[in-house]
Amino acid sequence: MATSVVFVGVGGQGVVTLARWVGEAALSAGYDVRIAEIHGVSQRGGSVEVHLRFGEVYAAVVEEGGADYVVALEALEALRAYRYLKEGGLLVVNRRVIQPPGRWFNVEEVVEAIKRSGARSCVVPCFDVALELGSPVYENAVMLGILARLLGLPQPPGLDGRNREAFQRGFNLGASCRL
Amino acid sequence: MKSLLLGNEAIAYGVLAAGVAVAASYPGTPATEILETLERFKDRFVTWATNEKTAFELAYGAAVAGARSLVSMKHVGLNVAADPLHSSAYTGVEGGLLIAVADDPWMHSSQNEQDSRWYGLQSYIPVLEPSDPAEAYTMAKEGLSLSERLRHPVLLRSVTRVSHVRAPVEVEPPAPPRWGSFRRDPERLCLVPANARRRRAELVEKWRRVEETAAGYVWTEGEGDVVVVAAGVAYTYVKEALRRLRTEAKVVKLGMSVPVPPKVADLVGQSAVVVEEGDPVVEMQLRALGVRTAGKLDGFFPRYGELDVGRVAAGLAKALGIAYKPPTPPRPPMEPPPRPPALCPGCPHMGTFYVLKIATAGLNPVWSGDIGCYSLGVNMEQQDVITHMGSSLGLGLGIAVASRRFVVATVGDSTFFHSSLPQLVNLISSSVPILVVVMDNSYTAMTGGQPSPSRVTPVEKLTEALGIPTFVIDPARIKESVEAVKRAVEVVKQGRPAVVVSKRPCTLVALRRARAAGVEVPKYWVDVDKCVGCSLCYGLLRCSAIAPRGDRKAYIDPALCTGCGMCAEVCPTGAIKGERERWLEIWRQA
Repeated sequence: MATSVVFVGVGGQGVVTLARWVGEAALSAGYDVRIAEIHGVSQRGGSVEVHLRFGEVYAAVVEEGGADYVVALEALEALRAYRYLKEGGLLVVNRRVIQPPGRWFNVEEVVEAIKRSGARSCVVPCFDVALELGSPVYENAVMLGILARLLGLPQPPGLDGRNREAFQRGFNLGASCRL
Repeated sequence: MKSLLLGNEAIAYGVLAAGVAVAASYPGTPATEILETLERFKDRFVTWATNEKTAFELAYGAAVAGARSLVSMKHVGLNVAADPLHSSAYTGVEGGLLIAVADDPWMHSSQNEQDSRWYGLQSYIPVLEPSDPAEAYTMAKEGLSLSERLRHPVLLRSVTRVSHVRAPVEVEPPAPPRWGSFRRDPERLCLVPANARRRRAELVEKWRRVEETAAGYVWTEGEGDVVVVAAGVAYTYVKEALRRLRTEAKVVKLGMSVPVPPKVADLVGQSAVVVEEGDPVVEMQLRALGVRTAGKLDGFFPRYGELDVGRVAAGLAKALGIAYKPPTPPRPPMEPPPRPPALCPGCPHMGTFYVLKIATAGLNPVWSGDIGCYSLGVNMEQQDVITHMGSSLGLGLGIAVASRRFVVATVGDSTFFHSSLPQLVNLISSSVPILVVVMDNSYTAMTGGQPSPSRVTPVEKLTEALGIPTFVIDPARIKESVEAVKRAVEVVKQGRPAVVVSKRPCTLVALRRARAAGVEVPKYWVDVDKCVGCSLCYGLLRCSAIAPRGDRKAYIDPALCTGCGMCAEVCPTGAIKGERERWLEIWRQA
């Protein structure tokens, strides 16, 4: 058995770090792990996608319609990664929109669309919690806490300072995300 | 203890465990992290070279002198190094020489999708092909020793899904570096025709020994009437696809995909399904050995893009006559808006493109581009042709000669040193009037900010010494820069080439430095009463930190603004406010 997770967000949000944290947590829990990272132009503001699989795994990449979880640090990117969701998979979305060029999107309209989609979904306020902690840079650590709860994984080794606090806040939030 | 390593990190630790002493590379995705990892080990000679050829030659020379050495690059870089690559097989090496090359199927960040294994066949250099990071570690380590044992270079072919996959790898501590000492042997090392002819005959002979070695890199697992031959990363997809199809098969895994040893034909029997990433390199070798194959040649697997479990399962099912229904991807409830790659907020290139647009207005220039962050100028309609490293000056010259159009050739500083210097000399001696713009941000920024030669050799000193009129601008200072570029344009209009050096360090590097030094970066904001919604800041300058609100007035996202203040300079109504002078000064030093 293997669990497949697709992480998405916008460049600069810490998507790669988030996936690595989850991978390290899974490794410390005794699972075999594969994480597929995409590195290209190191521009900020572009779509970022990282695939994580753990359990009995060989291949690193999740195919469309094959993800148990799609985790989005940004709501518009959740729509873009929607195609990866497996039937019955769970979409975990940070309540935040980073404006794409050309058109203005309201967070509520995007969240509404996701909720209407019929997919199992869970919208979480990682961005708001991160701001309460002092900076948007903690939003990925909040998401990490939520995922630790959802996936039944421990806190990854080496997480320190404010990130630990963010993890804990997320872990508590994670309880409300269970469906 | 096992740690989650990128395939590229694993390659680095592999050669470290084998006592690598010398390593050189030119950065390129997906290969960059190999040298980045080695850079941390100060007891070795590790260097970023000006291009892949110079990197190859450095490592090759070290190996000729008996040191264990590594050269790494991306697939297209191997073309640049192809000349010494072929010679290296003729001379052989004294110490180990591992050539680590990362291919990029589906071109996540490349201009073409080439399979480096062809170079192995063409140059008579064996190719090891790991399937995952753990194997990348082992093969890098063994590959270096193997090279030394064969006294022959060895190529390690990775792909994006090995180089950029993290997986658990058990790493041994680095072995002490193995340096060498040069022994004269001109009959072997001087490839004048008389010597080279002898070497060629020996090379063909040597290839037989290499085939015997390759037989040691064949692993068989599983049982069944069906035989599947898998090389490299394809093996991982085969394992999962067979599980999905609930099919038993004998899997023959090739760790060395060039050459495929004749012994494999006995193992395989009469027919096999062949799964590999890239071109049908293994499949063609198997057919040459008389094996009937089902693979890419007959279209069971696609000949472009990456493989994945779904594609491999579908191909296996078709080849074996098994019914298979792939999962259907769900459709999103709302179409996601495109988020096209854009220059980072505050990117100096954004300013340069804006300045060039204004200064060449009315000339309708041909924009001859190059490989680097500034390729993104393609979204600003300011790149008409981009084909390879060095294409801007090279093709630009030809386009100018043929079409008599006004050509603007844009090239980054790292690329300038990589492959444009001889072209610049060519340009001057052929006296073709084109405008060369060196976008000098002091780093190889596209691959994450490796230092560029411009940090020690100022581009403008070099072009001035070559006698070409040179204009230096700071792209964050839009108005001054437009005036300077107009003067450069005048020189070109009068029939002489001119160079503009646009200097400001990469924003991301500057921000990292500022954060480390605790420097506060200013944020710009829009005075909504003064903004008239003219769109210059988000439409023409195209700063990605600025978005149009519903009423077309500008909104600057404070989380994205990097305080460059270019928007304030282009704003005709003075609606954009901020204070940048101290920050620009600190940034310039980055």
